[in-house]
Amino acid sequence: MDYDPMAMDDAESLGPVVKISQADSVRVKFELQNADISFANSLRRVMLGEIPTIAIDLVEIENNSSVLADEFIAHRLGLIPLNAEGVEHLLYSRDCDCEEYCEHCSVRLTLHARCTGYDNMSVSARDLVPVGERINQTLGTPIITDKDGTGSLILKLRPDQEIKLECIAKKGIAKEHAKWAPSAAIGFEYDPHNKLRHLDLWYESDPKAEWPPSEYAKWEEPPVEGEPFDFDAVPNHFYFNVETAGNLPPDGIVAEGIKVIQQKLAGLIHELTEGEGDGGYDGPRSPEYNSGPDTNYGYSTSYGGNGGNQSAWGGGGGTTPFGGQTSYGGGGWS
Amino acid sequence: MNAPDRFELFLLGEGEKKITETVVNSIPNCSDFMLKKEDHTVGNLLAEHLKKDPQVMFAAYKIGHPNVPEVLLRVQTNGQINPREALVKVLKELVAAYGQLGREFQKELALRQYADQGEGSGSGGAI
Repeated sequence: MDYDPMAMDDAESLGPVVKISQADSVRVKFELQNADISFANSLRRVMLGEIPTIAIDLVEIENNSSVLADEFIAHRLGLIPLNAEGVEHLLYSRDCDCEEYCEHCSVRLTLHARCTGYDNMSVSARDLVPVGERINQTLGTPIITDKDGTGSLILKLRPDQEIKLECIAKKGIAKEHAKWAPSAAIGFEYDPHNKLRHLDLWYESDPKAEWPPSEYAKWEEPPVEGEPFDFDAVPNHFYFNVETAGNLPPDGIVAEGIKVIQQKLAGLIHELTEGEGDGGYDGPRSPEYNSGPDTNYGYSTSYGGNGGNQSAWGGGGGTTPFGGQTSYGGGGWS
Repeated sequence: MNAPDRFELFLLGEGEKKITETVVNSIPNCSDFMLKKEDHTVGNLLAEHLKKDPQVMFAAYKIGHPNVPEVLLRVQTNGQINPREALVKVLKELVAAYGQLGREFQKELALRQYADQGEGSGSGGAI
């Protein structure tokens, strides 16, 4: 290993350690050390499926003379990534007091295009216009990342064809429908040299020649020839590659993922210690996970708050209900 | 057509409790916890970390049917603490650990951005 052994010893007592190898507006690559595989995998699963974002959920078509069927267009609209900045202030429609949807639980977008020229015309995400009241000026705006600045193509119109519709974008999670997924992909790997033999690499004649080494192979020591198999070895270094679909920044996906899983676990603690009356958990705490309209995601969650730094998890632990005992050493972390 | 609504995977039904404990009478210091609307994310995480606790003798989870979002978690302790206490302890440790991870991540990210500013714009695409 090319890590300082002293630092490793230090880390052992501190819990999970992160090393970021790349961070830009599209992806963040990081290595998670000193954590259990279930710990890393839970984070991965939550980032894939349970981070709230916003996507078009209802489409009212007023006029569609294009060649595509209404439901086909509605499906395409649903898959367009929308900016989810500030989605924590948006309510879930099912938790809102309104009849069907309102400005507290949805963002309205309209699309009206008519081909008046002689050539076919492309209608793209850029032509979707958010209308009406919004929580902030970015929430629900279609994501445009391509060079031409048009965004994803929705449909094409021949001369004289017209499309006119109104969309309702709602908050949701990818467990309900993949259109709410914040991440385009999450790379997750460990043990690049397959020392643990979790993989059985198929090969024609020589697996070494046929399987190109992972980009992380140089981060870990290659196996020594003739080394006996270590039956007690467990994976300890996990390599994440979180790529955003555009709706949340990649580091925001990681931060939100951590928040969601903490809320899940905190909800369980709350349920289990309810009515015990020892006062241990009567302090300020976020309402139960997914509990409804007043779920104040972040900002006043119970994990933190004393550090005064801006991360939702607050600073150095200490007086927070959960931060108090950061001594996982005793808990038998390996 | 008759597929259940997808949100039934994560929204508790009317009157449903998130977690219920059933004491297993045939085994000493053993409880079954039924977690509703949860999956491997929580089940595997809890079972694996309970096993690391020296006071826990047995911990395992199962998801009876892939279409049913219920996790059954069985915990047996050595008698010094009861299964519920063991579970709460592990939950608290995990919340703290994820909090630590979040702080570490933000710290590393800030360092990274600080370093990148020196090199000019990174290799990132535009958003």
